[in-house]
Amino acid sequence: MNWTLVLPELVLALAGLAALVAGVLPKRDTSFAINMGVFGAMLLAAVLVMAQPEGTAFAGQYVSDAFTRFMKLLVLAGAALGLLVAMDWNVKEGLAKFEFPLLLLFSSLGMMVMVSANDLIALYLGLELLSLSLYVIAAFNRDSERSAEAGLKYFILGSLASGLLLYGASLIYGFAGSTNFDRIADAVSATEGVPFGLVVGLVFVLAALAFKVSAVPFHMWTPDVYEGAPTPVTAFFASAPKVAAIALLTRVAAGPFGELVEQWQQVLILASLGSMILGALAAIGQKNIKRLMAYSSIGHIGYALMGLAVGSDLGIRGLLLYMAIYLFTNVGAFAVLVAMRRNGRALEGIDDLAGLGRTDPAMALAMTVFMLSMAGIPPLAGFFGKLYVFLAAVYGGYWTLAVVGVLTSAVSAYYYLRVIKVMYFDAGEALDARPTSLSVVLAGTGLFTVFFFAFPAPFLAAAQAAVAALVG
Amino acid sequence: MTQPLLANYFPILVFLAIAAGIAVAMVGGSVLAARQKPYAEKVSAYECGFEPFDDTRRRFDVRFYLVAILFIIFDLEVAFLFPWAVALGDIGWLGFLSMMAFLGVLTVGFIYEWRKGALDWE
Amino acid sequence: MDAFLASPIGILALTVAQTLALLVPLLIAVAYLTYAERKVMAAMQMRKGPNVVGPFGLLQPFADALKMLLKETIIPSGANRALFILGPMLTLILALIAWAVIPVNDGWAIADINVGVLYLLAISSLGVYGIVIAGWASNSKYAFLGALRSAAQMVSYEVSMGLVIVTVLLCVGSLNLSEIVRAQKTVWFAIPLFPMFVIFFISTLAETNRPPFDLAEGESELVAGFMVEYSSMTYALFFLGEYANMILMSAMTSILFLGGWLPPMDIAPFNWVPGPIWFILKIMLCLFTFIWVRATFPRYRYDQLMRLGWKIFLPFSLVYLVLTAFVLKLTGWLPV
Repeated sequence: MNWTLVLPELVLALAGLAALVAGVLPKRDTSFAINMGVFGAMLLAAVLVMAQPEGTAFAGQYVSDAFTRFMKLLVLAGAALGLLVAMDWNVKEGLAKFEFPLLLLFSSLGMMVMVSANDLIALYLGLELLSLSLYVIAAFNRDSERSAEAGLKYFILGSLASGLLLYGASLIYGFAGSTNFDRIADAVSATEGVPFGLVVGLVFVLAALAFKVSAVPFHMWTPDVYEGAPTPVTAFFASAPKVAAIALLTRVAAGPFGELVEQWQQVLILASLGSMILGALAAIGQKNIKRLMAYSSIGHIGYALMGLAVGSDLGIRGLLLYMAIYLFTNVGAFAVLVAMRRNGRALEGIDDLAGLGRTDPAMALAMTVFMLSMAGIPPLAGFFGKLYVFLAAVYGGYWTLAVVGVLTSAVSAYYYLRVIKVMYFDAGEALDARPTSLSVVLAGTGLFTVFFFAFPAPFLAAAQAAVAALVG
Repeated sequence: MTQPLLANYFPILVFLAIAAGIAVAMVGGSVLAARQKPYAEKVSAYECGFEPFDDTRRRFDVRFYLVAILFIIFDLEVAFLFPWAVALGDIGWLGFLSMMAFLGVLTVGFIYEWRKGALDWE
Repeated sequence: MDAFLASPIGILALTVAQTLALLVPLLIAVAYLTYAERKVMAAMQMRKGPNVVGPFGLLQPFADALKMLLKETIIPSGANRALFILGPMLTLILALIAWAVIPVNDGWAIADINVGVLYLLAISSLGVYGIVIAGWASNSKYAFLGALRSAAQMVSYEVSMGLVIVTVLLCVGSLNLSEIVRAQKTVWFAIPLFPMFVIFFISTLAETNRPPFDLAEGESELVAGFMVEYSSMTYALFFLGEYANMILMSAMTSILFLGGWLPPMDIAPFNWVPGPIWFILKIMLCLFTFIWVRATFPRYRYDQLMRLGWKIFLPFSLVYLVLTAFVLKLTGWLPV
């Protein structure tokens, strides 16, 4: 067996185990060193992912190709940025425990396994490793009632989704006779017609994955969990796990069930439409900026799913690009939220941003860029993300999707612009000075968002290669 | 008796029935043989002569819960070890080392919980 | 006759006869174990022990049983009646049905199933249910706390017991109890696996809630633990269950470590004595140790009990297991 294939995952796993012992054995506080160590391990894993050969391992359960490489790099970038965003916050909130980076590391490991899964069992394994870590970090601020509540809510609903997934997987196994994606694909193409049980199983699996990406109608947990969890945790929730879950959804839909396009397409179109509309409308009345971002993320998932629902190579390429752009823009916006702190107290109201245009012009500018990008204003990155999925929908003849997408974009622009308005036209007091790590993240993601139009080629090429690897 | 595997378990069923019969007969016999005369004081919960106060089914120490979770983890480990131990002669060094990797991960978890005080009482 | 024995009714009759042939002596043994315990402890404490009912007090167990039988069965008003009765019955039933797989001699097991060890482990871990059900159904604080303690204690020691059993399995390569005994033809496992033997024996003390691990009863704090609300035969069932479990654990110790029905050495005059006698002698030796420990050691504190189980037995047995596996693998002595 080819052990070098799983080298990135092995490195992460061993680093996690070593950090666990290193964190708990010494008497003194090692959380900073472990933060750095985990950050280094993620970078190392990213380098290894780039050098990863293609092929399958563990008897076909694990696959590595251009698609997994693209997605894993995104996931690792999201996790590493999430760690950077959280470090200073955790110290200020008294949450600087070494378990935090570890949980991020284990969730990244889970996401990488998810992305590389080529088998229902491996899929479940990765998803559970991710979910269990996420349940814990959602409740990481144990002394806060809201955080504990968020963790518990997420856990209960998440385990329900896991149950759905397992139930669906067992149905699929029953009808296809194998848990391996390639075998399932063979079984699907070999049978005449479409077995009803297989479709039911597929719908269950899709529902569970829709829960993980928080697509309508499985979005209910998102606003509460996003609001209750500590802000940097929310930043992480809204970035890397979504990318990984979308990757998994794409792999499951396009891989083993590629022949059942007509069956899953309807489900995804409905989920996409629902998410776009709900994301646009429900966010309007929000006063808490984390809730606003929660609904915004539901809307973005709707746009991303449009790419998959179209069912064409072009659509999947658009989806991949959308997720990449969403990841960086979103982390940037959350970095601003994490920096919202006055007299040592963290703030979450949209009103608390008032006057930022005068008191901290640089951060206000960055936030403006992110908000405009999310609204899809050219020439910012978010515009291109939407452009590619809308184009795919139009080429595929899915006019409804495209029209609803444009309309909801226009509606959502209202609440994004409202944030900008509050920053520049309302009066407010200055925030505390922001830490260097956040400035670095803001600058990096801001520059990416602004200058994406100048160098889309490498991203387009990578996404194209990923789609080719996926669809074969 | 056509299936030898199930036939092996048949005596256990008989055993279960007879053991249950003995248990029921003992309790039933006593209920029939002895004079039953309950009254309110007699059937109240025993609390060293005091009137029972407070509800019994209330919160209790979370460490019992922790022990239960740890037990599940380690008992599962033992359950995995059973087939491994029986088949170790046939599965070569790869089989041996796979289980060692598993035990290694578990040991790291054990060290963590130990240092975190999950095993301390008082 | 042969034709009758081969028919379904014949097989049933034979099985029932076998079962009764095992259970009746077992129940008598349980009764006399209580007598033996009182006599042995009395001797160790320079007392006389029961000596009134019958010659040397030999009829004492039957007098006790009769007394229990004629007492009123009290069911507390707050109790969950069905569960309250089920608890003690379950305890006794589980203590009895485990005996179905115990090989008394070569080929003398009533159900010679190929996963005997697993069956024993499963049944003995179910024992915790009887206690938890009783403690919960009583709706009394002492009973509830006693049941919780007892459950936590039993599961804690079950882990190390499981690891010890796995070590034995490494040396045998089979889950069948008769095979385990036969594998000890040359040397009893108590010798090469001596530390595991000690851990196993101490764990059986904890599993059966015997002193010095009888915190579940802890009369000084919990009055009588989970059985505080029980009376009459329901109380007697707990007693019977506990003593039947003691005998069962002794039998397990004999099978796993002391060579079951095998004589100490396969030479005259040892091998003139039939296997079952050896088996019973070994069980009696273990039981004597149970009583001896009770008369000798003070009760553990709860934190000490948990520390011993989780921080000493568990790591130690895990390391010893790995070492055993490694040595066997390296030397190629593994059974195939």
